[in-house]
Amino acid sequence: MSVINEIYSMMQKGRSKAVKELIQNALSQGITAEEILNDALLASMDEVGEKFKSGEAYIPEVLVCARAMNAGLEVLKPLLSGEQTKCPGKVCIGTVRGDIHDIGKNLVKIMLEGKGFEVIDLGTNVEPETFVNTAKEEKCDIICLSALLTTTRDEMKIVIDEVKNAGIRDKVKILIGGAPITEEFAKEIGADAYTPDAASAADCALKMCTE
Amino acid sequence: MTNRERTMNILHFKDADRMPAVHFGYWGELLVEWAEQGKIPHHLAERNYDGSDKDRELDKLIGWDFNWSRTAGANIDLSPGFEHKVLETLPDGSQRVQTWTGAIERVTPGVVSIPSEDDYLLKDRSAFEELYLPKMQYFEDRVNVGYFKSLNDKRDWDLPLGIFLGSVIGKIRDMCTVTGMSYLIYDEDEELFADIVNAYADMQYKCIKQILETDAKFDFGHFWEDICYKNGPLISPELFDELTAEHYKRRTDLCKEYGIDIVSLDCDGVVEKLLPTWVNNGVNTMFPIEIGVWGDQFYPARQKFGNKVLGVGGMDKTAFRRDKAAVDAELERMKRLASEGGFIPCPDHRLMPGSKFELVQYYAEEVKKCL
Repeated sequence: MSVINEIYSMMQKGRSKAVKELIQNALSQGITAEEILNDALLASMDEVGEKFKSGEAYIPEVLVCARAMNAGLEVLKPLLSGEQTKCPGKVCIGTVRGDIHDIGKNLVKIMLEGKGFEVIDLGTNVEPETFVNTAKEEKCDIICLSALLTTTRDEMKIVIDEVKNAGIRDKVKILIGGAPITEEFAKEIGADAYTPDAASAADCALKMCTE
Repeated sequence: MTNRERTMNILHFKDADRMPAVHFGYWGELLVEWAEQGKIPHHLAERNYDGSDKDRELDKLIGWDFNWSRTAGANIDLSPGFEHKVLETLPDGSQRVQTWTGAIERVTPGVVSIPSEDDYLLKDRSAFEELYLPKMQYFEDRVNVGYFKSLNDKRDWDLPLGIFLGSVIGKIRDMCTVTGMSYLIYDEDEELFADIVNAYADMQYKCIKQILETDAKFDFGHFWEDICYKNGPLISPELFDELTAEHYKRRTDLCKEYGIDIVSLDCDGVVEKLLPTWVNNGVNTMFPIEIGVWGDQFYPARQKFGNKVLGVGGMDKTAFRRDKAAVDAELERMKRLASEGGFIPCPDHRLMPGSKFELVQYYAEEVKKCL
């Protein structure tokens, strides 16, 4: 088994320590950081994302793979120049005001990073103006909004209205998700898209930035 | 007929004079809201627990017959629990709190909500063996034997009563959070998570056995799990089966020895993929079948497992925030499901803020005709 395949496989098992060791081994064999990133880390994360979307993988598989990917990135980051990494876009993500739940938001962040996005995580209980200001200042392509509670999902419309008021609605796409969110609700509040799970959110974001 | 008789008859596909009006409690904020609106006395909005005297008083005021989550059981919690303490207050006013389970959650003071996970203590084998295992041990005082010995004399025989059968994996998830559970499942120490499940299960089994040996009479058994969400199970069904099946079977077999053949399980979210583990191991009654928020359904389960699967729940509680037409539509749907037998309508979770008191009263009256 090639070292790239070994890293890929250890990622799937969530073995962070082994991933780090194997990356050092790969680098010593002359394999570039970019190859390791694309062919092992991102490819493996992508496979877990696909499996998650199709119901073959579950939250634990996604979380442990992401943890292994981050461990691997620690080794690779100093070796990667900005030009070598393909970044499809910049996203700011957060759970809306009044809601402090973040598992869903974190899963979307993992999947976005797995697709190579630069993700600015605003955390939970995020004020509408924080989304707007970040999107403006950081020139984000997408704002991702998450909510777990039926009582907080209405905050999403407030964010969208603020984005309109700030005059950047045509510059930024708005992607929403969370337990009480539906396609119908997304249309009603004027979001660009709703996705039912984290992997679909990353796919949708990629489509938004490449089409 | 008593409520106990009509409930047990319906769940055994026998005739009943009417449907019992069953519920699953309320978010505390709703009771405060109703008290402020003058719909209920203020004292009923405080410390109102499932099956308590206050809950019963509220049942009478609204027209409910009983709360399904009215069970009796042992103390299966970590004992002693970890110290409950505020670790940090964050700039937005929320707090990082260490709970009695050792999980560290973020909460907003004054807001009753689903906890938000932040960190946890149960991270590896040494934490399990040093911090948790001693708290998972069986000891006699976990069961109030005196209470159970006299239960037959003092219980209200009009109402069905469940024995709480604990939790195989959901409470462990509470201890270590979804993230922690994920890491423990894939720990390099491959036996670790199963060892935690087995140790916790063994203590619970002993407690349940001790209760049943008092000869206290129960009508049904009741598990709590909460291991699913909007998109299905939190862990793979295969792994879930591997970790839990024997423990469900052991407890439900014990129940059968004492004549308890109705075993319900409280799990939020979409449960379909875990049904085979439950149904094949003696858990036959799904509760609360969350259709409103999560889209869970009872009918597909009935189609797949036939009369081996029973249901209590399935009524979209969000209708109470809308209007009479929405409640009527739910009543119609409930009537269709109830006509199959082995199904008792019940709001699909605790009633939430914004639920209209009059609509709940109306439903409680009308659901009695759903047979």
